[in-house]
Amino acid sequence: MGRFLQYVFDGLSSGAIYSLLALCLVVVYRGTGYLNFAQGEMAMFCTFLVWQIHDWGLPLWLAVIVGMGVGYVAGAGVEMFVIRPVAKRSPFAVFVVAIGLFLGLNSLAGAIWGAPPQEIMPSLFPNEPKDFQTILGATWRYQSIGILLVGLAVTGALFALFNKTRFGLAMRAVASNAESARLVGVNTGRVLAASWGIAAAIGALAGTMVAGTTGEVSPGLMFSYFVYASAAATLGGFDSLKGAVIAGLSIGVIEDMVAGYAPEWIGQEMRLGVALIIILVVLLIRPTGLFGEQKVARV
Amino acid sequence: MALVTIKKNSPQHIVLRVLAVAAVLIAVLWVPTKMATGDIDSMTNALALVIAASALNLVIGYTGLISIGHSAFFGVGTYATGVLVSKYGWGHGWSMVLGALIAFIIGCVVALPALRIKGIYLALVTLAVAVLFPTLVKWPKLEWLTNGARGISGVRYDKLPSLPILGDLKGRDGRAVFFYWFAILLVAITVLVCRGIVKSRVGRALIAIRDNEIGAEVMGVNLAATKTIVFGVSAALTSLAGSLSVARTGVVTADGVNLTLLGSIIFLVVMVVGGAATLTGPIVGAFVYVWVDNYTRDASASGNGPIGWLFDWSAISPATIILSAALILLMFVAPDGVVGLIKRISRKFVVIR
Repeated sequence: MGRFLQYVFDGLSSGAIYSLLALCLVVVYRGTGYLNFAQGEMAMFCTFLVWQIHDWGLPLWLAVIVGMGVGYVAGAGVEMFVIRPVAKRSPFAVFVVAIGLFLGLNSLAGAIWGAPPQEIMPSLFPNEPKDFQTILGATWRYQSIGILLVGLAVTGALFALFNKTRFGLAMRAVASNAESARLVGVNTGRVLAASWGIAAAIGALAGTMVAGTTGEVSPGLMFSYFVYASAAATLGGFDSLKGAVIAGLSIGVIEDMVAGYAPEWIGQEMRLGVALIIILVVLLIRPTGLFGEQKVARV
Repeated sequence: MALVTIKKNSPQHIVLRVLAVAAVLIAVLWVPTKMATGDIDSMTNALALVIAASALNLVIGYTGLISIGHSAFFGVGTYATGVLVSKYGWGHGWSMVLGALIAFIIGCVVALPALRIKGIYLALVTLAVAVLFPTLVKWPKLEWLTNGARGISGVRYDKLPSLPILGDLKGRDGRAVFFYWFAILLVAITVLVCRGIVKSRVGRALIAIRDNEIGAEVMGVNLAATKTIVFGVSAALTSLAGSLSVARTGVVTADGVNLTLLGSIIFLVVMVVGGAATLTGPIVGAFVYVWVDNYTRDASASGNGPIGWLFDWSAISPATIILSAALILLMFVAPDGVVGLIKRISRKFVVIR
């Protein structure tokens, strides 16, 4: 029982981060219809910024807020000045640009902050060896509880933003039909830029939490998280916020269970394989995921 | 309006074509006879990229199916040659053939989702394939076959033939020259296969699928068969590049650059930089890529080369930064790549009709 609960709890904690990143992917996809391949690298780069600001002397929580702000501006800027101009050309051009951003941010982070020596990153939450509670035989670390709570809070805030505000209404309008939204006076450009900005800001927060758990920042920080998040977004149906959250949490739990109960088959090496096989199976059997909308195209 | 208009198959046109072929031949002969051994090796690297990028071009450029999983097919080639030669005592040639066959089958299987999904979803499937491959060969359950993370070594091809036309093949120089010619042979095969596909009925079907899938189907193109086979052929060609690299270096590791996602991205960069959906694009792109990579590799140490001062803050080689900046810039100024740009400019001066 303790073991089972432990896997569930650990899984929920890593799943919270997958959900956050999956939400970024979904927010961008709903707005612009593109998968942002550079989402994970944008988050990684912002995390390096957070580390740098913290290193200059600001407390970490303040550094995160500054990093999220910078991330918002940079994300919106990327959409306005890089993605939008090439989007007129073809979706393939957007894909290539995203790959260029992926590669460029990755190598730029390595160039600025040095490739091999990884920077030491403190955690946002108490993370001493003594910082845990034992509930029902499972170890609940404060760090994991903190990640889970932040994840839930951000998700709640996003849902409120989408469902309760004028801006959220505009976003939903653009997502369902950009052309009509423009005709009724929605500033679609601003909405799209904002959705990229929000995604980048959430990524900065998620990246900082990831770096806090591993204790270091490196250019490869977010890659596997990006793959998990893509799996979560795929399973959830890519245009559904609810789907991204549920799928992210369940992938976290499934992954921990599988790796924990079948160590000689899956173990640590094939963990990522679980996520990848989920992508393959979902896309083969039910391309719209669990909560996605069936796309009907007019011929 | 163009300055000169030349009729197709007129004497002037034939002279132009002969000149182009002669220039290519001189360049091909120049490399092994005049260049230093290290430079011949980088030319061979470029040729391996030509193979992979041309194969990728069939799938992305002509058919419009986005794949970033081709590093896995490159990996299939390297592991097929590595395992068959080291564990089962096969010859390099036959291992290459079997590797291509395995890659063909895997390529067809990967193409199955492409029958139902497109765009980013297909990109995700191929992303999964690219990331899964290195994990899979390092999997402890497969260690009996792949040696896990240790990789395979000592599978270099050393029986250099003594063909008089290639000159005296001895030592390191001889190896470089031999593998250069071998790579040229494989490139020739690849380009001929691609040309054969593109200029035929199948090629027109591919382009029709890319431009309007439903229209193509209505016109009688068998979508499932065409997509599956083109993906398979592309995978098989890519695996040839992998086998070539193993025969040259004799080392197989799961984390080699071309076997991981980075490899897929490099193939894509080469194809896009050269020019998607053109036969010459991947060739030009590969040489541009290798040139930029070599030229900027040491630029991070200050005072190195003309651009050293720009990058002396950088802790690592700025080659990747420059390439990705160039890639993004290219999408703005010349989305059809270098070849597209040259075509567009030369059309202002000479028109062939």
